[in-house]
Amino acid sequence: MKKLSALTFACAIALASAGTALASVRLLETGSTLLYPLMNLWVVAYQRDHHDVQITTQGTGSGTGISQAIAGVAQIGASDAYMSDGQMRVTPMLNIPLAISAQQINYNLPGLNGVHLRLSGPVLAGIYGGRIGYWDDPHIKAMNHGVRLPHQPIVPIHRADGSGDTFIFTQYLSKSTPWWNHGPAYGTTISWPNVSTAVGAMGNPGMVQTCKATPYSLAYIGVSFLTQTNEAHLGYAALQNSAGQFVLPTTTTIGADARALENRTPGDERLSLIFAPGKESYPIINYEYAIIKPHQPDAATAKALRAFLNWAIDARGGQQMRFLDAVHFLPLPANVVRLSRQQINKVH
Amino acid sequence: MIAASAARRRRASAIVSQAWWSASVAALGLTVVILAAIFGFVGVRGAGGLSVKLFTTVTSGIAGGLANAIAGTLLLVAIGLAIAAILGIGTAMWVVEFAPPWAARTVRFTIDVLAGVPSIVVGYFLYVALVEGLGWGFSLIAGALALAILVLPYVERSADVALSGVPRDLREGSVALGARPAVTIFKIDVPYALPGILTGMLVAIGIGLGETAPLIYTAGWSNYMPSLAPIHSPVGYLTYVVWTFISQPFAASHRLAYAAALLLMIFVFVTNLLARSFVEYRLGHHRGR
Amino acid sequence: MLTGAAAFVSSFLIVAMLLGLFVYAYPAIRFNGLGFFTSIVWNIGNQYGSGATVTHNGYSAEPGASFGGLVFIAGTLLTSVLAMIIAVPFSILVALAIVYRLPAKVKPLANAVVELMAGVPSVVYGLWGMVVVVPFIGSVVAPFAHDHLGIIPFLGGATESGNGLLAATIILAIMVATTRDSLQAQSKSIYEASLALGSTTWQAVTRAVLPSVRGGLGASILLSFGRALGETMAVLMICGSAINTLPNTIFSPVNTIAAVIVSQLESALTDASGMAQHSLGELALALFLITLLVNGVARVILRGAPHAGVIG
Repeated sequence: MKKLSALTFACAIALASAGTALASVRLLETGSTLLYPLMNLWVVAYQRDHHDVQITTQGTGSGTGISQAIAGVAQIGASDAYMSDGQMRVTPMLNIPLAISAQQINYNLPGLNGVHLRLSGPVLAGIYGGRIGYWDDPHIKAMNHGVRLPHQPIVPIHRADGSGDTFIFTQYLSKSTPWWNHGPAYGTTISWPNVSTAVGAMGNPGMVQTCKATPYSLAYIGVSFLTQTNEAHLGYAALQNSAGQFVLPTTTTIGADARALENRTPGDERLSLIFAPGKESYPIINYEYAIIKPHQPDAATAKALRAFLNWAIDARGGQQMRFLDAVHFLPLPANVVRLSRQQINKVH
Repeated sequence: MIAASAARRRRASAIVSQAWWSASVAALGLTVVILAAIFGFVGVRGAGGLSVKLFTTVTSGIAGGLANAIAGTLLLVAIGLAIAAILGIGTAMWVVEFAPPWAARTVRFTIDVLAGVPSIVVGYFLYVALVEGLGWGFSLIAGALALAILVLPYVERSADVALSGVPRDLREGSVALGARPAVTIFKIDVPYALPGILTGMLVAIGIGLGETAPLIYTAGWSNYMPSLAPIHSPVGYLTYVVWTFISQPFAASHRLAYAAALLLMIFVFVTNLLARSFVEYRLGHHRGR
Repeated sequence: MLTGAAAFVSSFLIVAMLLGLFVYAYPAIRFNGLGFFTSIVWNIGNQYGSGATVTHNGYSAEPGASFGGLVFIAGTLLTSVLAMIIAVPFSILVALAIVYRLPAKVKPLANAVVELMAGVPSVVYGLWGMVVVVPFIGSVVAPFAHDHLGIIPFLGGATESGNGLLAATIILAIMVATTRDSLQAQSKSIYEASLALGSTTWQAVTRAVLPSVRGGLGASILLSFGRALGETMAVLMICGSAINTLPNTIFSPVNTIAAVIVSQLESALTDASGMAQHSLGELALALFLITLLVNGVARVILRGAPHAGVIG
């Protein structure tokens, strides 16, 4: 046994020394699994012409990203949600938007997945809150004239792990439905009302998988999984926005929402984009954040961080559509880029 | 009459015996089928991702190779297992040979309890204590320690069972011949108990290779080859690839995830073969067969 | 006395973790009180809202917070017990087949199969369970049970039965390996003596051999039960992650302590009051105590068993 471990050890050392690159600064990015695919595309491209820095990416979840950035274990904490006031009181951090993401409401209705059902916040709240149990409920029928909805119980699927997707979905329910706001409210994990048919799933792939395997189910899934939901032949809904219009998630409608709120984004950039005004605006979109400690342990780390983040929000850097298209994200509006730059330059 | 009924009873018990043995062989067959199903599942999906590049290049983003993860996995498991072996086998020896009964009871009890601690708790505990608390950051040592704690019960318990199974007469014979306790242990007990100890180590390697959650909080993850620095340097490993890359919205990352799963199973397979043939050799050698 | 030092360190590790966990969970123990064991509501509170914070016994959490652990404690016990009911008899049968029925030439192969099974990573079992086992239960087993046994329809994509089955598969390998070892450690003489007295081969095994290795068997059952209690990734991927609801059939979604710690740790880290993290610590402590209890009970049952050196 000893010989064996000695052997593997020797192999590992040989491999390790063969592959170790010498870099002056190491950065660790960890957090949001929604931002993780984009981060991976960015880092690979960035490292091609920046050899003085080693950046490692980890998809661990937004909560972990925030807490490890605070602990100083990671330099970049990726999060789908901005930090709460409570958290900011305990440890003030920079919340820097890097891109814009959106969310689709998917369903598996045999025979109807090609039809874009119309759904509203209050209806979704009713389903996830146990007040609307069947697909042919009058509330759903009322907004879907001419669609033959089956008399089948709805299976609402929610995320079992803490997730930025849950955060933005429940925020949409809270902003559109007063009773939800006073009840379950919103967060990366919420106390889901007791619905006997409800199921939890792990991660976005678990959501796609479960929705695909469960007829008459309903799920909320990040737009970066559009290719997967299409392959699974899931339907996606047109959602009612604050102007009362039903809109599908498209580049135009997501962009309309982002522009509507561009000028309202405050200096610290902690802002919800959910349920924004405007006839065209798709209601569930959000900023993807980098959570950064303003004071870094040394100047070299701070410099490398500023360089990478500035590249990520630059139109000739990370905001190029060849990166964003791969995950169906949208670039930051010009004003937000300006605010993000101001925040990045505070890193020292 | 009596003879006839006895014969009937014997025949009946023979049939019952035969039926149970059939059930037992069928259970073994089912076990083989389950393993084949899992291997087939991973093999079919993972084989497409296997290539030379997989072993020679590091992970870049969600594509590239797995060289960093392979090296990291081997390093973490080797160090973790070494720590667990020293602690576990040492503990088992003390418990079987030297400990007063109450102490043996207590130690065995604590070790059984440790087997029930979920891996994430060990990982999070070490995260709070070492990664954050002592400021080690994500590191090789923190990851290896997590693995060591997790596999310790399996190493200790199988060594314990194996050492307890050493026939008294063999051991007493050695003592009667005036051998010191340490000599008895290494000349009599260890060779006799080796297959059992090894089974525990193999189970431990399997568990160590397959751990995910605790490593995420201790070893972190790295796209680069592990540096041998014990602290302040995250390490990549294969289960991270399985767990995280399967959740990525790209076909390329899924291929990598299944390839990593297949590699893990091949590692376990090879380790088993090596260790088994080593034991056969030792047994043959030792017993002069 | 190096071995004594090793034993001390091994035990110390556990005691240190237990104490560390207790200190970490203490605010939650005070905050949650007995409700921890009776309530099914797990809610980290409204992090972004502006209600009044909840305070119990001088410890506070965000508005609306409640940390009931009943769903997870019950789910852990259900899953593990179901897994043991399946795995214990099954693995004894398999171990007996390997030791007494296989020709010497095939034996190494069977041993390799068992050890390989123990080496399949938990996440791979989970993946297989998610893609293969759960859909099978959902489309074949549960509808059959519903039609012929008249229980409540299966709706979700994941189940308690799938959970139990998968956990059983995972501990199967460990149980077979350790059971086989204790059978092999037993000298053949008991088996042969029993045969000489006129027993059938099966009687020799069940009446003479198995009782004589009760201690070793007990140890392997305990080890496997521990593993089932703490099994995380595979269970997490298929359990349906029930929250705020108890299972009413073996096909309902459940949740276990280990699984909920992984799935909720991330959210708990966003709780500015920190009470969610402490409560997860309390859940871990509860699992510790369950394991302690199981071991204690097993010890009482196995007291005086031959081979008692192994079980204490």
